[in-house]
Amino acid sequence: MPETTPPARALRLGVAGPVGVGKSSLIATVCRALADELAIGVITNDIYTDEDARFLRSAGVLDPERIRAVETGACPHTAIRDDVTANLLAAEDLERDFDPLDLVIIESGGDNLTATFSPALVDAQIFVLDVAGGGDVARKGGPGIGRADLLVVNKTDLAPYVGVDVEQMVADASAAREGRAVVALSRTDDASVAALRAWLLGVLERFRDGEHVAQDPGPMAPHFHADEEGGGVLHSHADGDEAHAHEHAHTH
Amino acid sequence: MTSLSPHSATVALLLADARLPGGGHAHSASLEPALRGGMPPADVPAWMIGRATTVSLVEAGTAVVTARLLADAGPAAGSVDAPDDRVDALVRAWAARTPSPALRDASRLLGRGYLRVARALWPHSAAVRVVARHDAASRRPQGPGRPHGAGAPPRAVVLGAIAAAAGLAPADVVRLTVYDDAQTAASALLKLEPLDPLAPARWVLDACAAAEEHVLRVAACATPEDIPSSGAPLTEGWAEAHALTTQRLFRA
Repeated sequence: MPETTPPARALRLGVAGPVGVGKSSLIATVCRALADELAIGVITNDIYTDEDARFLRSAGVLDPERIRAVETGACPHTAIRDDVTANLLAAEDLERDFDPLDLVIIESGGDNLTATFSPALVDAQIFVLDVAGGGDVARKGGPGIGRADLLVVNKTDLAPYVGVDVEQMVADASAAREGRAVVALSRTDDASVAALRAWLLGVLERFRDGEHVAQDPGPMAPHFHADEEGGGVLHSHADGDEAHAHEHAHTH
Repeated sequence: MTSLSPHSATVALLLADARLPGGGHAHSASLEPALRGGMPPADVPAWMIGRATTVSLVEAGTAVVTARLLADAGPAAGSVDAPDDRVDALVRAWAARTPSPALRDASRLLGRGYLRVARALWPHSAAVRVVARHDAASRRPQGPGRPHGAGAPPRAVVLGAIAAAAGLAPADVVRLTVYDDAQTAASALLKLEPLDPLAPARWVLDACAAAEEHVLRVAACATPEDIPSSGAPLTEGWAEAHALTTQRLFRA
């Protein structure tokens, strides 16, 4: 059975994170920053309504037809990880109906810190936190915080009002992520939006060149790091053992 | 790759397991529409028996006849781009017995998810290939706003192809269909109404028991004309109303 997949399908980008951190708003920001140069489609995974889809349609950043909502049967976690069928079919439909698309963004329903996308659904994923959720959340870690392709610390403009040290939060996040990308974002701060935009275009370029490989943040499991002396250290990121420095490259 | 095959009973267990990633978790087997439409929760046990002895038998008969007609499918006839006449007749017979466009659409979406399962697990089955080819052909001339092809196979037809591929006995196909529908509603009920999670398990068994006297009759269906035409008009109406709501946990 010959597959009729186009030779270069859209980059599928997941956006996950707890409720209220600004996932929909971030997607609107991305659309605003890139809609002129990229053909974009959006899939939302609302838990109880099509609120997110309606928010994005009303934001006027994208043709409303290009924003679709899928139901998750009250299980947003399942819909992006254990059974991605509904999202996968919606992505295929969007790519077919608006061929050629450059980017399909899939917004997870707000969930807990362990919810991450399956690499069977997305090529890359952003995990979103916000300063109002507490400065210590980034330090707590978790698969999304630790190993999503990009961690966004959102709503930095609110930091003075909630008593959070953004620099410290970003430093904590960077430590938890062993150097993976972090963007401190405020939609009112053009420089931060430019950083988000540059990151996304970089991923898209590597995806098109065939260099990008989907990473699975996966569940938190104890794992072993070998060191140069032949010894090593067994640890779990869930332990919060920041004292263990990650200056060496390794694969999980 | 080993040539050992699992017992057909094992395949039936796999298909009945909600953990199988086929997209079913976003569906409530018409329960959410019924409750939102005003059916008292106390009526759910009787409603489940009603489904088991009416609409579930339409689905079951469709699957049984599909399995029979495609059991010795051989390579699909005609050109690669053309719909298959046998599958077309089955889809028409099923559609004529499923008057609600919303339910037909939801079932085709489930069929598409199930087809992904079928193609992944039985890629060499002639029956699965015939249905997959028909599905692809029926979706070809599409545009925005028509995400699912009008002639695309519903879940029952895909189940029939799987039954042919795995050698499921017709009576087991009927029992599987009835059980899956009842268990889907039971599982959804726990997310829609507060109750002891064990209560609906009893109702699932009761519904299956009520269908038992119909099993052999439906299992004997041999042609599309034989498929039962026992409908549930209220369910059809609720499904249409539900498809227009913006606040729903489940697709249908």
